[in-house]
Amino acid sequence: MIPVAPPPLVATPPAVSAALTETNVQVNSGFRGARIVLYGAVFDPLSRPSDVVVIVRGPEQPVRIARKTRVLGLWVNSRPVVFRGAPGFYIAASTRPLDEIARFSELRRLGAGVDHLAINAPDEQRIETRYGIRDMVVSRLGADYFDWRRAVVRLKEKGGLYAVDEAGVRFVDKGLFRAEIALPAEAPIGEYHARIVLFQGGRPVSEKLRTLTVAKVGVERGLYLWAHERPWSYGLAAMAFALGAGWAASRAFRRD
Amino acid sequence: MDIYLPIAEVSVNAPLLVALGALVGFISGLFGIGGGFLMTPVLVFLGIPPAVAVASMANHVAASSMSSVISYSRRRAVDFRMGGVLAGGGVVGAIVGVEIFRWLRLLGQADLAVALSYLLFLGVIGGLMLWESLQAILRRRRGEPPPPRRDRRPPWLYGLPLKMRFPSSRLFISVIPPILLGAFVGVLSAIMGVGGGFVLVPAMIYILRMPANVVVGTSLFQIIVTTALTGVLQAGRNQTVDIVLATLLLAGGVLGAQFGARASSRFRAEELRAVLALIVLVVGLRMGLGLFVRPDEPFVLMSGMGG
Repeated sequence: MIPVAPPPLVATPPAVSAALTETNVQVNSGFRGARIVLYGAVFDPLSRPSDVVVIVRGPEQPVRIARKTRVLGLWVNSRPVVFRGAPGFYIAASTRPLDEIARFSELRRLGAGVDHLAINAPDEQRIETRYGIRDMVVSRLGADYFDWRRAVVRLKEKGGLYAVDEAGVRFVDKGLFRAEIALPAEAPIGEYHARIVLFQGGRPVSEKLRTLTVAKVGVERGLYLWAHERPWSYGLAAMAFALGAGWAASRAFRRD
Repeated sequence: MDIYLPIAEVSVNAPLLVALGALVGFISGLFGIGGGFLMTPVLVFLGIPPAVAVASMANHVAASSMSSVISYSRRRAVDFRMGGVLAGGGVVGAIVGVEIFRWLRLLGQADLAVALSYLLFLGVIGGLMLWESLQAILRRRRGEPPPPRRDRRPPWLYGLPLKMRFPSSRLFISVIPPILLGAFVGVLSAIMGVGGGFVLVPAMIYILRMPANVVVGTSLFQIIVTTALTGVLQAGRNQTVDIVLATLLLAGGVLGAQFGARASSRFRAEELRAVLALIVLVVGLRMGLGLFVRPDEPFVLMSGMGG
């Protein structure tokens, strides 16, 4: 028998595709967080070993953070430091631990993983010449800078707003994967971007971007807009309502 | 039954908040105080941003004070003239207080100011009140007569200019001490999210020497004016009043206050004062404790951009 040669391989590059099961999260009075399911497929005729990383970022929110220091025996807050570039929500879900999927430099470039978030404190930085080297970026926080940066991530993780899920993406069938993103009730309002990246041999070979909107609806939206766009009339109405309720209660309980 | 708060942007358990409002309202009606000093720390503990808790409390305190002041005025137990003078100072104090709070938030020192004022004011007032009421209880147990009230008129109260007649309180004193007192309470109400009754009531008795029967009603009247202004200012300047949160709390609060006011007649005044003093002292120490203990987490996130 003459062995049949396999059909010639077409050099189609591997590709990834994905869709969110929900693209609009509505925040109403019953909102307790949401679970967003993402389905996707890897198209690769050669079926090379693939890894998928899903990075979801919420709207950017500057972070103000302070450190407790001891002054005259009391623990008080230091001057707050503002970190910029921090997303209000961040999750990196992947098929395997990120450092097994790709090298440091690739992860850093993609901002994959909480250690690779591009956050910094520009107000604390100044550029000066040191040891004869011009344009050195020096942070006023000095050697503690990384403690501060780690604290931002740690506190956000504690609040359920930052997460790394090393097994968050699962292949459910050949080439078909599924990821689940849990949004807590504290997740900020705004536009979220999901970046789905296909890795092969430690390199990103294909990626897709998907958008997700978290918006207040109904009464919640109306009250929020009122409070922020016409704060004085909102404040007056809220107080009038409070005083009216107090008056009504005293009328209702009047004993005569 | 969780409900999402549109301004605080957190989800809370609605029945729990109504029950909390009712409990604090009951205590408030029982002791004739606003109860903000109890509620604000609990709200922060439940995960509501402190700035929102402090601001929304103003609405709650105004509502429960309104609910009780009407019954006091029916009994003619409100000195509206004195209340008006106190409130005049309170208005200035509230405006200054809201600005101070804004500035402290920008500096990142709002937590410190809140913790220190709780420790200082609640600690001192709770301690003094507990001492005084325990002595009263002991004297009654031993069957001793109450000590004669020193009714010497302090010269600084009567020597100052701008004297005014307060017929309901049977006083003819300078308006400067009540205005200063009102202003001080106004600042506290903006910074601590309290009505300030726990400062006002003892100050009216021991400093202004007002008759005890009009003190609580007058204090409630001044609290309404001050907190109404604080609530509107916080909403207008800081956008931190959550109407849903305030509504949940005051739904329980106004009912609780009515039951508390009825229950108060079943207890002796000095025993009530001793219990209140204990509550005040414990809350003050609990809030201040964090200042002395090495924190597990040395870093804190500050909510918002200080705006």
